[in-house]
Amino acid sequence: MAMFPGLNVPANSGSDHEMEDAQDLDALTLAKSYFDLKEYDRAAYFLKGCRSQKAYFLYMYSRYLSGEKKKDDETVDSLGPLEKGQVRNEALRELRVELSKKHTAGELDGFTLYLYGVVLRKLDLPKEAVDVFVEGIHALPLHWGAWLELSNLVTNIEMLKSLSLPDCWIKDFFMAHMYTELQMIKEALQKYQNLIEAGFSKSTYIISQIAVAYHNIRDIDQALALFNELREQDPYRIDNMDTFSNLLYVKSMKPELSYLAHNLVEIDKYRVETCCVIGNYYSLRSQHEKAALYFQRALKLNPRCLGAWTLMGHEYMEMKNTSAAIQAYRHAIEVNKRDYRAWYGLGQTYEILKMPFYCLYYYRKAHQLRPNDSRMLVALGESYEKLSQQAEAKKCYWRAYSVGDVEKMALLKLAKLHEQLNESDDAAQCYMLYIQDIFSCGEQLEHAEVSTALRYLGQYYFKNKLYDEASLCAQRCCDYNDAREEGKALLRQISQVRDQIETPSADLFAPLSNNNTPVRRVSPLNLISFTP
Amino acid sequence: MDQLHRFFSYCSENPKVNGGFSSPEERRHDTTLLYEMTASKITLPERRRLNKLILPLQQGPDLTLGQFLKTVEECCPQTAYAVKLRLHEMADGELKDMEYFFSTLPTPFTAFDTEAYKTSVVGLFMRHMLLAYNKLSFSQVYKLYKSLQHYYHSHYAKPMDGQVPALVADDSEMDLTSIEDTVGDRVDKEELDTPLHESELRSDNTPSRGPLSQKQAEYFLARQAYLLKNDENKALKPAALQEELNNMLKFNPDFAEAHYLNYLNSMRVQDIFLSAHSLLHYFDRLILSGNDGKSNGDEGYGRSLRYAALNLASLHCRFGHYQQADLALQEAIRIAQESNDHVCLQHCLSWLYTLEQMKGSDSTVLTEDSVKMAAHFCLPYLASLGIQSLVQQGATQGKTAHKLMDALKDTDILHWKHSLSELIEISLAQTTSIWRMYGKSTMSLQQAQLLLNMSSLEPVNFGVQQNNTEAFAVVLCHLAELHAEQGLYGAVSEIIQHLKEQFPPHTQHAKLWMLCDLKIQFERHMNEGKYHLAEPLVTAITALNQLEGLYRKAQVLKAVNRSTEAYHILQQLQARCEKTKCTEMVIRVMLSTAELHWESSGFSTALPVLLQALALARQHHLQSLASETILHLAFTQLMLGVPEQALNVLHEAVEPILAHRAVMDKGCAMLLAARCQMAVAGFKPNRQGQADLRLAASALDTLNEAAAYFSQLNCKERLRDVHYLQAQLHRSLGQILESNKSAMLFRLLDQELQSPAPPVSMRL
Repeated sequence: MAMFPGLNVPANSGSDHEMEDAQDLDALTLAKSYFDLKEYDRAAYFLKGCRSQKAYFLYMYSRYLSGEKKKDDETVDSLGPLEKGQVRNEALRELRVELSKKHTAGELDGFTLYLYGVVLRKLDLPKEAVDVFVEGIHALPLHWGAWLELSNLVTNIEMLKSLSLPDCWIKDFFMAHMYTELQMIKEALQKYQNLIEAGFSKSTYIISQIAVAYHNIRDIDQALALFNELREQDPYRIDNMDTFSNLLYVKSMKPELSYLAHNLVEIDKYRVETCCVIGNYYSLRSQHEKAALYFQRALKLNPRCLGAWTLMGHEYMEMKNTSAAIQAYRHAIEVNKRDYRAWYGLGQTYEILKMPFYCLYYYRKAHQLRPNDSRMLVALGESYEKLSQQAEAKKCYWRAYSVGDVEKMALLKLAKLHEQLNESDDAAQCYMLYIQDIFSCGEQLEHAEVSTALRYLGQYYFKNKLYDEASLCAQRCCDYNDAREEGKALLRQISQVRDQIETPSADLFAPLSNNNTPVRRVSPLNLISFTP
Repeated sequence: MDQLHRFFSYCSENPKVNGGFSSPEERRHDTTLLYEMTASKITLPERRRLNKLILPLQQGPDLTLGQFLKTVEECCPQTAYAVKLRLHEMADGELKDMEYFFSTLPTPFTAFDTEAYKTSVVGLFMRHMLLAYNKLSFSQVYKLYKSLQHYYHSHYAKPMDGQVPALVADDSEMDLTSIEDTVGDRVDKEELDTPLHESELRSDNTPSRGPLSQKQAEYFLARQAYLLKNDENKALKPAALQEELNNMLKFNPDFAEAHYLNYLNSMRVQDIFLSAHSLLHYFDRLILSGNDGKSNGDEGYGRSLRYAALNLASLHCRFGHYQQADLALQEAIRIAQESNDHVCLQHCLSWLYTLEQMKGSDSTVLTEDSVKMAAHFCLPYLASLGIQSLVQQGATQGKTAHKLMDALKDTDILHWKHSLSELIEISLAQTTSIWRMYGKSTMSLQQAQLLLNMSSLEPVNFGVQQNNTEAFAVVLCHLAELHAEQGLYGAVSEIIQHLKEQFPPHTQHAKLWMLCDLKIQFERHMNEGKYHLAEPLVTAITALNQLEGLYRKAQVLKAVNRSTEAYHILQQLQARCEKTKCTEMVIRVMLSTAELHWESSGFSTALPVLLQALALARQHHLQSLASETILHLAFTQLMLGVPEQALNVLHEAVEPILAHRAVMDKGCAMLLAARCQMAVAGFKPNRQGQADLRLAASALDTLNEAAAYFSQLNCKERLRDVHYLQAQLHRSLGQILESNKSAMLFRLLDQELQSPAPPVSMRL
């Protein structure tokens, strides 16, 4: 032993740790009980003299939580509205100083590093916090809390790539989570798939995450299926159920939504998610006042709940209370500047107020955040159209179609725009694409205006003397109620003209010369000219 | 009574708010003051001073304790000491001391004979205060006390005034030991705080650390906004102000006005993104606060919507996005029309013609309409703004001078009636410009001085007088140019220096003086014949004003004998100017073209151009340009061999030139006159002809005068010409000594200049 003094150190320190743990065991147990009873100050008091790492963490953590609790209590009876933003966790500064001392001395373990990071983040020092979290993760890779905190601080993919993270299986979870957050859904889904294949097939967490990812890319059916599966496996789950209710809402599945709401109320009615679900439920039943009420309740439970602000804005919009809607959306933006729905909602509000130029700014913001979302592009296009900026409007509609139009409206609008501008070839081309698009997607959309398209195409072909195509369109027109008469009329016209042509007329060359003029059949390539 | 006062301020702080206890501790001192005022015997003048202090204290922004004590001390040191003592008692005592204080306050309902009577200012304040205090819950009272302590100790923590009384300092130390758990703890905390200060520099370096109270914030915003408007240099630097605003918004995100100031601040640094963002944010917030009246009428948020769109239009206009501005303006007009808001519509209309003007199209009709409507709706500001705009357009389009002056006079009456000081300034600046355009430098100078020496009608707030408007910039630029014309370059550089300080390069009006500075430098170099120095300035001028830049380029090219290029540029310039109806420039271009013709001895081709220029100048009453044209004409005639005629024409122009024109022009006119006289006298160089001696002598006088002017400007080339002619004249008069002297001077200058002298005959 004397010959290898160096070897003894770890063994010694190990036993030191154990010794410390043993010494502090009583105090720790006592404090833990107090801690569980939410008597943080009391817990901290009894841990003061302890020297083991565990006790130290609990000591500091109790102090932190005590500060947070006092902060929350203070907000209730502050001296006035001005103090609203000024109530602070007074313990933070002291905690930070103590922790930073220990940090420089290298005495922090994974948990205390995590706490240090949290403190830094609360003090608005994101850069330092990121460093500390990364360090904490290296020290204790399996602590998901630290990963989650880190995920809140990562704002873009470059930053994510620049982090040096430990190569541990949990890193895959983190990366998948980050990809979902950063709207890189494809990568996220791939990661989750890999994780499932690697043996996490039964994890409800992964299923829910995949469902959320599908929700983000508006793949509603997939997401619904996954959520249903999730509910079967984990019937008392409340997490993510607000997303589920959003999906049900979009699909207008009233009974399912009602069932979900009732179910969740039974489980726990004072949860943010539950309130959101009920809000959605009322909204779907067009009881917007009640819906707004429940969203407000959700916000009371958690003022930083972003979704609720936006949803409340939507409800106010439904109630035509524009100013309250603007307020709600602004709050949502305050919580998260990158919330595209709130920006979009603000744009809609101003559009309702008939301020197309004003709302452009908001739509642009929303578009910036979701460059490949057709809804923003269509909204932008509509605003430009109202401002008689046809060139810009065309660009927007075409781009909306190119990125995959969700509502299948962009082409129709583009076609109508061309029609207005007397660009008949382009209009016909767009109508054609539109019809193809509608039929290829299979399901029948409510607002589909196939008849309009067919009617226009019929007239177009007729004018260009392509009678076969024209008659085909006219026949298809007859399938629709609103265009039946016109279809028949067109058919009659066509047969008349055909009769004239077939009877040898005096002027034999007229039709020939007409046929010789090459009718411009628009190729899809032409449309590319106005892609931005 | 001392207490009353403190209490007071508490409530007045935020009367709307439940309890009004936004930052109570800040005002406690006021109450203390009142108490002490009544409690102790004070001499009458002191009492009067204190009474006068009450209102500002109550309505003004929150002070720090140090500031407060200082103000009171100035009035009555005795009271100040009493207040301090009282505060000290409370802050270093216990909670019960504060409670005792409140309980001893004479309630306004019992006190009949004091200032605290219930309907007095003080009484009202006290009632507010007591009410607010009684409403507080236990924990709130405790918090109040804590904040009082903090307020008090923060003053003494950093002894900035150097007047910390020993008594207090001692006490507080003692108290520390008693209040805090252990001394060690306390020390620890302070020690802990130091590293924080270093790392959290951003929060500690700012002028006002931490959150501001409502009043402080409002005061801060009002002050900064006022400074931004009136004297930008005294406001915080853009970055510092931004930081301050961010800080404010962090603690109080609902403070809409801060967003507006943010918008103004971003405009300062020409940040379109941030300014648009802040502007929209402000109006989003405003819509919330103006929520009460949901109607679309004058009140309510319909109104702010209209003005939001209008403001957006003005924003785009400022950044030169005319199409965007147009769209936003149309939107504002449409909404205003829908809700029958004539005032807003009127504002829109005035923006509309401004926009049209900026786009370079004729907007006279629009402006006239705007003026009529504004007069109809009794909006004097907009009406006379419209008239001023009309005057400006009229001046460029050659309206008769007396009409313009009449219009300006009428609006001036309106301005004085309504005390529209801003418009008075603009009007003066405009008169300066118009006189200058007409070539009446004395009048112009007088008007400029009038504006600069006028004391503004605006109240002088924060020790700043309004003096960074566009009007001031314009007038100062004119002043600089006028001095430059007289060759007073020292004064010019002083004026430019002042302009630079007053309107830093990043500000809105900085381009005015930049262009003016460049023009003056250019002229100076040209006069001194340093063409190589003038040339680089052309690029800078072009960046600020394209037409001006082209003209100057042509001048430089002409001076270095690259006539063809110069001619091309002049042609191009003339076409463009005629399109935009820029008469002054057209005439100047014509004169330059005529000069080019001279160089190729095409004197007869120059004549029609000059006559055309003369007609134009007369039509637009541009006297200075007219007399310059006459100079050119006379020279052409001289060259064409009709010196008598030239002399006649010249006589017509000499008077205005001597009265109003630049020194350079005076010199040229004199030189030309001398040459005409010589020609009339039948004087021929190198030949002892029968010269008229009397005329020759007067020509000599004229030459001397010209020499005086040229030497004033250090214009050596011209001086050389003058000496040459002088030498010849002297010789012909038989004055050999003088002749030799002049010849020697000529020789010296010729050596210095190196460039061969162009034939005297070839230039004006």
